Amino acid sequence: MIDVVKLEKRFGSVTAVSDVSFTAGDGRVTGLLGPNGAGKTTTLRMLYGVMRPDRGSITVDGVDTSAKPLAAQARVGVLPDVYGLYPRLTAREHIRYFGELHGMSRAALAERTEELFELLDMQHIADRRAAGYSHGERTKVALARALVHRPQNVLLDEPTNGLDVMSTRAVREIVRRLRADGRCVLFSSHVMQEVSALCDSIVVVAGGRVVAQGTPDELRTQGGHDDLEDAFVALAGAANGGAQR
Amino acid sequence: MTTRTAWRQALVVLVKEFVDSCRDRRALVSLVLTVLIGPVITGFMMNRMADRQRAAEEVRIPVAGVQYAPALVEWLRQQSGVEVVAAPDNPEQAVRDQDEYVVAIIPKDFAERFRASKPATVKLVADSARADTFPQVNRVRRLFEQYGAQIGSLRLVGRGVSPAVATPLQVQEVEVSTTQQRAARLLAVIPLMILLSAFTGAMQIATDATAGERERGSLEALLVNPVPRSALAIGKCLAAAAAAMIAVTVTASLCAALLRFIPMQEMGMRFRFGVPHFAGMMAAVLPMCLVTAAMQSAVATLARSFKEAQSYMGILILAPMLVGVLGTLYPIDNQPWMYGVPMLGQYVLLTNVLGGRAPAVLAFVAAALSCVIVAAFFIRLTVALFRDERIVFGR
Repeated sequence: MIDVVKLEKRFGSVTAVSDVSFTAGDGRVTGLLGPNGAGKTTTLRMLYGVMRPDRGSITVDGVDTSAKPLAAQARVGVLPDVYGLYPRLTAREHIRYFGELHGMSRAALAERTEELFELLDMQHIADRRAAGYSHGERTKVALARALVHRPQNVLLDEPTNGLDVMSTRAVREIVRRLRADGRCVLFSSHVMQEVSALCDSIVVVAGGRVVAQGTPDELRTQGGHDDLEDAFVALAGAANGGAQR
Repeated sequence: MTTRTAWRQALVVLVKEFVDSCRDRRALVSLVLTVLIGPVITGFMMNRMADRQRAAEEVRIPVAGVQYAPALVEWLRQQSGVEVVAAPDNPEQAVRDQDEYVVAIIPKDFAERFRASKPATVKLVADSARADTFPQVNRVRRLFEQYGAQIGSLRLVGRGVSPAVATPLQVQEVEVSTTQQRAARLLAVIPLMILLSAFTGAMQIATDATAGERERGSLEALLVNPVPRSALAIGKCLAAAAAAMIAVTVTASLCAALLRFIPMQEMGMRFRFGVPHFAGMMAAVLPMCLVTAAMQSAVATLARSFKEAQSYMGILILAPMLVGVLGTLYPIDNQPWMYGVPMLGQYVLLTNVLGGRAPAVLAFVAAALSCVIVAAFFIRLTVALFRDERIVFGR
């Protein structure tokens, strides 16, 4: 479970995130929805501990990220915006590197690696170097790497961006499995269909603040539109108009 | 998160960076070439030097006008390693065209002036711009001077004067440096090559694991793991240091092989190089690898891009060159404070080890200690930079 209270982050004179609060529960998929530049990636970066918030607090399974950053990081698995695979390492080595950094034992790591290869259907690239991977294959490796330590909380930054239909389905399948497994899944997207197809609850961010949150049905009511996309445009647009004043 | 876990994580990072960089074929090839080229060129040059020395001992002297000074020519022929041959038609052109390195010309009036006890001329045509034939030309000049001195003494004796009268001054050189030291001065490039390899060896990992990692976007993914930034920075620095140590060991081994196969005796040098010398060189320079690796990592982390990091590496590598150049311009006298300055200390230690003057154990310890202190400073700097969001996410 991830609890975010009044998060704020500035870069010089630019305020990227000004007021973000939400809760992402276990066994649920929470979508962080917003247009480009709304502050989704910055919010996630603070959640997975590579940026420090200027104000506000984040707790992961009750662990405060500013007080115990490493303990909080140990409880999350992350698929970042840019995967950053090492072109000269194989899929297996990528998984092993992160598993070892999480302090996993050799035996546990070997077992988990096979499990992930199975889950993501990636045996055929297990021992190939990343230099020649397709986008879908890279996503699989990055996902496997994120899940190697069986994190309770999984953060995905625009996971289906640029993926073909097959890979998108595979990612959705993983997300559903994680939810069924009782994990807390938080993912960001600017694609409405994506969010409506998967999420139990949606947090709409625009201009660095949360403009609406709730189940898809609640959002339709708040936005005053039956179509979720129209509702989103209404909610985000209102916030942007406010921000640009 | 205990310290032990952090060290284990640092080790994981070290192994990954090392394996990763070993698979970078192109970087590896260029590293091997840069490490090899110094010792190979030096070996080649030394061999040439030995050849020239040998050539000077056996000289071929083209002489024009042999018939005007038969006694002189006969005397020349009797000297060991001297062969007198006929001179080409146009001596000056022949020397200019480098067909001959020297031509001695005995003029027509030689015999006449000789008999009259007037200074008789012998012309030596030589090209002083040619460094490679210098020892031979020198030998030829000395031969003629020697003959002149002998005849002079004989003439004085014939007139009842002791030749000592005509020698008011005798310059006697007393050489204080041991032959090994002289050899070491000649071999001053060896410490420089070893210091340089400590830089070139660390360079690849120091830039690729910091600026490169950030530029590829893999740094963020790495920082998501529950690893203290200090463990990451230390792992990366130590991986670079390990690579530098390998490069240094290879260079030193090549130099050692060089010293064994170059005919030093023929250059008039008695030079011993054995296991203790090699061990001394290693003890002097291995701690230095920590400094180069940590310094390069810090600078590369600070750079805005991989390209920028690489250009900074080019500047850093000037440091050992500066030490080397200063070392040859101003022969270093051993001051104790020098051991406290990384690079300079190693340079002095290496020069002494090669010169056959074993430095005190304390000097090794002091030099190593100063390296560890300076390396620790740069590692701390790298850690601080890894903690800085502006550095991690670019500026």
